Formats: sequence, structure tokens, C-alpha cells
Amino acid sequence: MGLLALGTALDWPEAKTRAHHVRAWGIKQLLEIWNKAKVKERDAMLWGDEVEYLVVTYSKDEPKVLLSLRQADILAALADDKTLAKEVTPPASPGGTKPKEKYPSPVFHPEFGRFMLEATPGKPWGIDFKELLHVEPDMKLRRAIAKDHMLPNEYPITLTTFPRIGSPGVFTDPHYPVSGPKLRSQFVPDEIANPHIRFPTLAANIRSRRGRKVQVNVPVFRDENTPWPWKDPTVNYDLHNWPEDGDVRNGAAPDNFIHMDAMAFGMGSCCLQITFQAKNITEGRKMYDQLSPLGPILLALTAATPIYKGFLADTDVRWNQISKAVDDRTAEELGEKPLQNDRWRIPKSRYASNSTYISEDPRLREEYLDPNLVIDPEIKQQLLDGGMDDRLATHFAHLFIRDPIVIFNEDLEVLDLSKTDHFENIQSTNWQHMRFKPPPADNNIGWRVEFRPMEIQITDFENAAFSVFMVLITRVILSFDLNFYIPITKVDENMETAHKRDAVLQEKFWFRRNLFSSRPSRGSGSGTTTPRSGGGSRANSRPPSPIGPVEDEYKLMTVNEIINGEDDDGEFPGLIPLVESYLDSVNVDVATRCQLARYLDLIRKRANGELWTAAKWIREFVKGHEGYEKDSVVSEEVNKDLVGKVIEIGEREAKGEGFRGLGAGVEKLLGGF
Amino acid sequence: MRLLKLLYLFLVETGQSIWLFLTGKRKRLVGNRNMTKLILSTGNIVSGGPSIIRKPGAYRSNLELTNSLRSNFLAAQEDYAAAAADDDGEAQDGKSQANGDAENGAAKSNGNALHVNTATGGRPPVSVWTAERDGVLYIPRIDWSEAGLQEEPSQYNITVKLFFLPSASVDRRAQFAKEALDLVLKELGAPAVDLLIVSFPGMSFEGDCEWEADRQNAVQGNDEEELATWAAIEDLHRTGLAKSIGLAEFGSEKLARFLQKVQVRPAVNQINIKNCCNVPPPLTKLAKEEGIELLAHSDCTDILPEGTLRELLGQGLGGAGILADPDTGVGGLKGDLAPQWVVKYTAVVRDRGVIENKGYFAGAELTEA
Repeated sequence: MGLLALGTALDWPEAKTRAHHVRAWGIKQLLEIWNKAKVKERDAMLWGDEVEYLVVTYSKDEPKVLLSLRQADILAALADDKTLAKEVTPPASPGGTKPKEKYPSPVFHPEFGRFMLEATPGKPWGIDFKELLHVEPDMKLRRAIAKDHMLPNEYPITLTTFPRIGSPGVFTDPHYPVSGPKLRSQFVPDEIANPHIRFPTLAANIRSRRGRKVQVNVPVFRDENTPWPWKDPTVNYDLHNWPEDGDVRNGAAPDNFIHMDAMAFGMGSCCLQITFQAKNITEGRKMYDQLSPLGPILLALTAATPIYKGFLADTDVRWNQISKAVDDRTAEELGEKPLQNDRWRIPKSRYASNSTYISEDPRLREEYLDPNLVIDPEIKQQLLDGGMDDRLATHFAHLFIRDPIVIFNEDLEVLDLSKTDHFENIQSTNWQHMRFKPPPADNNIGWRVEFRPMEIQITDFENAAFSVFMVLITRVILSFDLNFYIPITKVDENMETAHKRDAVLQEKFWFRRNLFSSRPSRGSGSGTTTPRSGGGSRANSRPPSPIGPVEDEYKLMTVNEIINGEDDDGEFPGLIPLVESYLDSVNVDVATRCQLARYLDLIRKRANGELWTAAKWIREFVKGHEGYEKDSVVSEEVNKDLVGKVIEIGEREAKGEGFRGLGAGVEKLLGGF
Repeated sequence: MRLLKLLYLFLVETGQSIWLFLTGKRKRLVGNRNMTKLILSTGNIVSGGPSIIRKPGAYRSNLELTNSLRSNFLAAQEDYAAAAADDDGEAQDGKSQANGDAENGAAKSNGNALHVNTATGGRPPVSVWTAERDGVLYIPRIDWSEAGLQEEPSQYNITVKLFFLPSASVDRRAQFAKEALDLVLKELGAPAVDLLIVSFPGMSFEGDCEWEADRQNAVQGNDEEELATWAAIEDLHRTGLAKSIGLAEFGSEKLARFLQKVQVRPAVNQINIKNCCNVPPPLTKLAKEEGIELLAHSDCTDILPEGTLRELLGQGLGGAGILADPDTGVGGLKGDLAPQWVVKYTAVVRDRGVIENKGYFAGAELTEA
């Protein structure tokens, strides 16, 4: 979650008055680092993954599974463990190669939810293909280390959300009453959030800025016995502790939607995020743009979130719920009231799909950009005056339309240009599906791009598969100079489409037809500095590639077509055949290639429907449970058995025994892997 | 692909009359020699579009080579025809310079004829887009000024795979290896390659299971010829042109026999098996004991059969129009065509895993009857 410095966090009315101050200093810090780092060159391809866990307390003999709120104790136990201090010997990778040298222990981090943990590798990964095989054992090691520092009945699991978070009754251990002063939620207690001052302040200031609680409404899945219209039976219309308790009486909880009212319902979700280091700023900007259209596709492909607050939802992914859970826009910014006090209407939450392309790639046509992009023109001018180019200045001037949410008073005394804290304050609270990351202030690492849309998967095998797949996709994009550009508004549309139930198989997504760039003509190559007599005229004689209407460049495709390629007559090659072409062109040993083939196989089968997404598996698990009454309700009993099965899958994986014979449709989720 | 088809049709409909003119010209160029060496090249195919795509299931294929040759021929015809038309315009304005490209040799002096040809929309004459020099015909002509890598050669992992073809003389393999490697080094602007893999004809892993494949492999190829060739490859290693050397498609028995007789041991053995998870266990064991890395690949060993080459260069649909039509005798060079070697090269940026340059050269000989 980024910044965790301590200090006096300002409450909203006061924070608001300092917002401009933070932005002004943030821009100065950005220009400082940009000037320092824009000439950085030839940084290696390094990358890292982030895995987030829910911590649950589970016992076969107890009737309920609960969220454990012992995050701080677990982190303390991990920090105190001297045997973990520096290095570990990683276990053998599935391909059989045992890493020879020890490497730094994984690192554990707190997250927003007090029931969450995040773990990252102890050092960034490289692009050596054998090293790609260390990812899965490292992920397993992280899970094992985390488990070792928990109570015997606590388990780290990688479901995106806890199915019954916010349900009436007890769902945390220990239990706390709802309706606290910070969140003012009628469903979850303030103690659900990490107690570090940053997190409750973030939640409280979002609510305060917004002028009411956040409204996270998810359409309920309508089953045979689901009453219709469906009224969320858990909503309490008679609560009068806080002014915000009136929200539900003023229409915050519409019919046929599961209603949630706190940041914890979104930021309590677990994701799988990958960060790549680029060789220089130009390559970073290119990767940012090219990976952007892949976001919704990977979101649909990793779908794992069919349950909220104890009810089956009619959507499969977490994205929009997080978006709503941190939406700090005022009524004016939302367009519900005429603009009086606020500066502009803002079409998207701070947590949303990308709104900008940032590369100066000649293949980027004006038509791909969002014509209604909101930017702060003064900030853009400052960046231009500082020497930044228009496109990048536009990007940051767009991010900087937001207010900083958490401001520490101590930080506003002196502007420190050897830091990037004010810049990061705005940057790291713009949760778009890609993030373009300048080097840190000491400039010792390169320009990075973070790919954020993927949902966490139940097993580390799957998490490693998707991580490695994305790494290979970046190498394919750069090697083959692929072009994924479509209008950015179509990426937004795809993001919505990805939410639909079983979108991976049932829906179509806008995608570019021809990924290949036009062949450079002879004589126009970049290497020619002194064109000879013939060469110059050759270059000039070739007319520029004809450019047709933008609409002809893309069409609707299924995830299967995008991942595996179109059938015989189609033109689209498919991402996996492209990855295989790449692997055919580099030196990979047979054992590594075999393991990479397993990963590609999983993704191929998820895309063609041979295997189910976690979302589908969870739905089917609930539907097939004897305690399910076809009324969309996920009871305590069903919840316990679902989590129990997830724990069983995890234990099987930890033993390296494969996933066969687990029953409950696990073979449809994980096949013969 | 649709575009390519259109181009083929366009080229087939035209061209014959031009060829009458050209055949005469070509004979003059070749003079009385009855042998022409042909060097085919793909240029950098890595950003060259669809020819790099492996079709699902095509685990042993030469489609990448043939498709990329074809598309490079078409592209060269297109580019050089347009350029020639421009040059011609300049010539008529009296501004024509000596065409400075020595590599292109005789190719650039036929202005007026070209003008007529391009004006009628014909397939451009061979002399426009190929180049002849010292008895070697470059198809297409190569603009060496475009050669080289973006960063210094030490930043790259350069792998070269040399395929000796079944129809070529075993005695000349040393010469072929040198020719092929020289071309690659020139193309990449590098002093040496990191890995040179040699692929001998007639070897593969066939059979229903991995044990069976390994057994069949034991009697494939020709040990003596392979050892003799290897001595030449060892020389390339000793002179520093190839930092390490390797084999392709050696099963456990062949490899064990081979290792007993070589001076420089192969660093790698590249194998192509349907499912790379099913490596024959004896081979895994031997490779581990001997410290030889087993690499995966998806090439076929008979990568450029004569028939394929003839089609590529012939007058038919998708052909380059270099060779005469075998039935009518019309349209170009005549004689027996013998493919000799193919070399594949790949330059990958070491710490970024980005393939910057990948391509093929192929060598063949045409002997006039």
C-alpha cells in the first residue's frame, strides 16, 4: 500500500485546505526525478510479483470460518524470526532444477484489511528462463512461511474476498461491533482496517470528502428461489448513530443489489500485481500503453469474485467494487449537482481503468485518446515549462486532478526535493489498472510499469502461471514490436464487459485485429546515418502506409480468440501462439520449456473453457452444496465448507501432490495439473 | 496473408515479357560459367509480421523459413522497383550518380528498361532486386549499411544454428560453415557468436514414446561424416568465432559414441520432441553426467528441400521468378538446383530477453545443364 510514514494525519476539512500545497510540491518533486531519470538507459529487465492473502481461522470442528484480525501479531512474529532474517534456500522448482544459492527471504507487508497480508519475493526476478521457474516455489515458500507464523487454526488463503465479510453476526476473530466513528459502516467494524493511522484516515477522509459513505452496490445473482425484486435483507434502515446512517433511507441501497458501505469491501480484496522494470523511459511508456488493452482480458481470465456479503453476485470480478469503495468524488464532481465549489466533473473513480496513453509511439493515433480527458491545465503548463513533453505532462496533469487524501502535517514544513513523498501521495492513490512508476528519489532503480488488474488465484501454481505469462507477453511485445492500440474508451468498455458473469466464455471484447507493424522499407532503416545516393531516394519513394478509419482496426473477439488465436480462416494469431513463437526463438532448456508449457496450458484451457475460472468453480461449489437453497444466499455452512476446500487445495499443493481426487469440481478448476 | 495473395496474383499476371529481356541479361552477367551460387536471405524477421507465428500443433516445421523468405522477396521487389523508378527519373534529369553501392554491383545500370517495366506494372526484373557479385547471386540484394545491432555485441546472446542439407556434399561442409558464419557475423556486425549449433541431415526423434524415439535415433545419420564435420566446427571454436558449439537431435547412444571421439565437447544438444516433457530418460541422464545442456527447439532437420526451394524461386504462384519455368523453359535461370545449407541466427539482449534480430540465410548452387 505504499507510504507508511508516521505522523499527524489531518482530518478532511483541514486536509482539503492543504491539498493544493501537496500538489504543488508533488509536481516539483516529479520534475526533479523526471529530469534526473529521463536519461537512464539500459536498465535490466527485472520484475516482481505481489501476492495478497486473506487470513482465516478455520477448524473442522468449529461451525464457522472467520477472518483473523491478527495481522499485526503475524507481521511481528515474522519480523522477530531470526532464522528468516536474511536468506532462505528455496525449495526445488517443479521442473526439478534446484536453485543453488540462497536468496533473500520473502518480504511481508501489511495491507488495508487487518485480515490481509501481502508477500513479495526478497529480490526482483530477472528474465533468465530458469529463474522464471523459481517463482512458483518462492510463492509456495511465502505461503509456508506465513502459515508457520500463524496460530495452528489460522490459514493464509488466496480468495479475492471473504465470502461473508459484512454479513450480520460474527465474521471476524475477535468480534467487534459495527458502526464505528471512522468507517461509520453498518456492516463492518472500524477494527476491520489496519490500525495504522494512514488506513482509517484514508477511509474516513474518502467518506468525508464524498459527503456520505461509499456505495458499493453489486447486482445479486437471481436463482430459482431468489425473491424478486430482491431487497438486501441485511440492510438496517433504522440505525441512527451517525449522519451517514441516513444514506440507506435516501436510496443508497436499491432493489436487486447487494449493498455495501465501506472501503473494506473493496480494498479488502486480494489481487495479483506484477511490476516490470523497463530499459529506459521510452520502453516504459511503450509497455504501459501496450499492456493497457490487455488489462480487461486478463481480468476476465482470472475472474474469482462471485460472492459478496454472503450472497451470490451477478458479476465475476472485484474491480468495480474496489472502484466504488474508494470513490471520493463529491456530488458536484459526479455530476449530480451543478459545479459550484468543485473544479470539474470527473467521469471515473480514483480506482478505475486507465484514461491515458503515454507513449510517443508514432503508431499512437490521436483517435485512440480520450477526447473528454479531465486534466489540470495549470499543472500541465508547469510540467511543460519544466521541459516535459505534452503526452506525459497530460498524463500527470490528469492524475493530479485528485486531492491527496491522507496528509501528514509534519511533511508540509519543508519541501524536500530529495524525496518523492508528495508526488507519491497523489500517484499512489490513483489506482488505475496500469501504473507508470518513475524511479525513486535516489534514482537507483529504473522506470517501471505495474500491471494491476489480475485477480488472485487460489493456488500458487495458477498465480505463478499468470505472472510468468505476463512476463513473457512483455518480451513478446518488445521483441515482435506488437501494436495493441485501440481507442482507450474501448478499453473502458472492455473493463465493464469483464465483470459479467462468465465473461471469459460468454462475452466479446474489443481487440486490435492486426498486431504487427508495417514492415520498414529498405533504405529507411534507423541505422543509416549517411544515406547513399540510391538509399535516400528509395526511402522517399515509398509512400507512408495508408491509414484507414480507426474503427476498421479493431473488432469484437472472445477471450479464447485473443488468447489462443482465431480458427483456420481468422487472421488473429493469439497471444499463446505468439509466446510460443518467442520461446522457439530463444534458448530454453527442455525442463524449463516443459514447465512453461504447463503454465501456458493452464491459461489456454481457462480461455477455451476446458477449465473453469475460480469464479465459476466457486459458483458451482455453492450451487452444488446441500445447504444451498437456490436463493442466492451463501450461508455460514456453505462458506465454511468452501473455505475448507480452499484450505485443502492449498495443503495438497504444499505437499506437491497434485490436485487430483479432491472432488467438489476441483478437477474442473485445475484439471490434471 | 490476404495482402500477400493479392501480390502473388499481381505478379503472376505480369512478368513474362520482361523475363525474355532479363534472361539475356542474366546470361551475359553470368558469362560462360556454368555454376551460380545463390544466397537467399530473410532480413530481420522479428518485427516483420506474421511469418514468425507458429501455428498451433506445428511442432516441427520450416514454415517460418519459407514464409519469411517469400515475404522478403516480395518486399524487396516492391521496394527496389519503386526505388529504381525514382533513380530512372533522376537519370533522365541528368542527375544520375554512380550508384555508390559496390555490393550491388551490376544491378543498377538498366534505367530505361526499368522505367518501361514499372510503368506497365510488371514484376520487377531480377536485376533490380537481386545483386550479383563474384559469381554469387544475392536474393534479394542485401543492403549491408542496415546491418548491425543497436548496442555493442557483448550485450547480446547470439545463437546460430547451421543446417547441413542432405543434397549437399559432405566434403564441403567446412566451407559452408565458414560461408554461413561469415554472413551472420557481417549481418549482425559482431566479431563472434555465443553458440553455434550444427544440425545434420536425417536425424530426429520419431516414434510413439520417448524410449522408442531414442532407440531409433541411434541408427540415424552418419557418425563418420558428423565427426568429420565436427572437426571443422571445432576449428571455428578455436579461432574464436564461436564461443561455444553444440549439436542438434542427438539421442543418448549417438551422443555417447560422439563424445568419445571429439576434441571439443558440445555445450548443448538441441532436441525436438513432440512433448518437451517427455525427454528420453537415458538422454536426460547422459546429458546431466556429461554437463551438456538439453535445449528445446521446433525446427525440422530437412529445412529446405530442393522442391521447396524451386517453388520459392520459380515462376509459379508465390515464386520469386528467378528460375525458368521447367515446362516452357521461359523466364529465368535454368539448371539443377541444389540447396546446400541454411543458417538461422538470433540476437537476444542478454539481461532483457528481447529478441532484436532474427533471420535466415540459405546457400544453394545452380548448375546449368
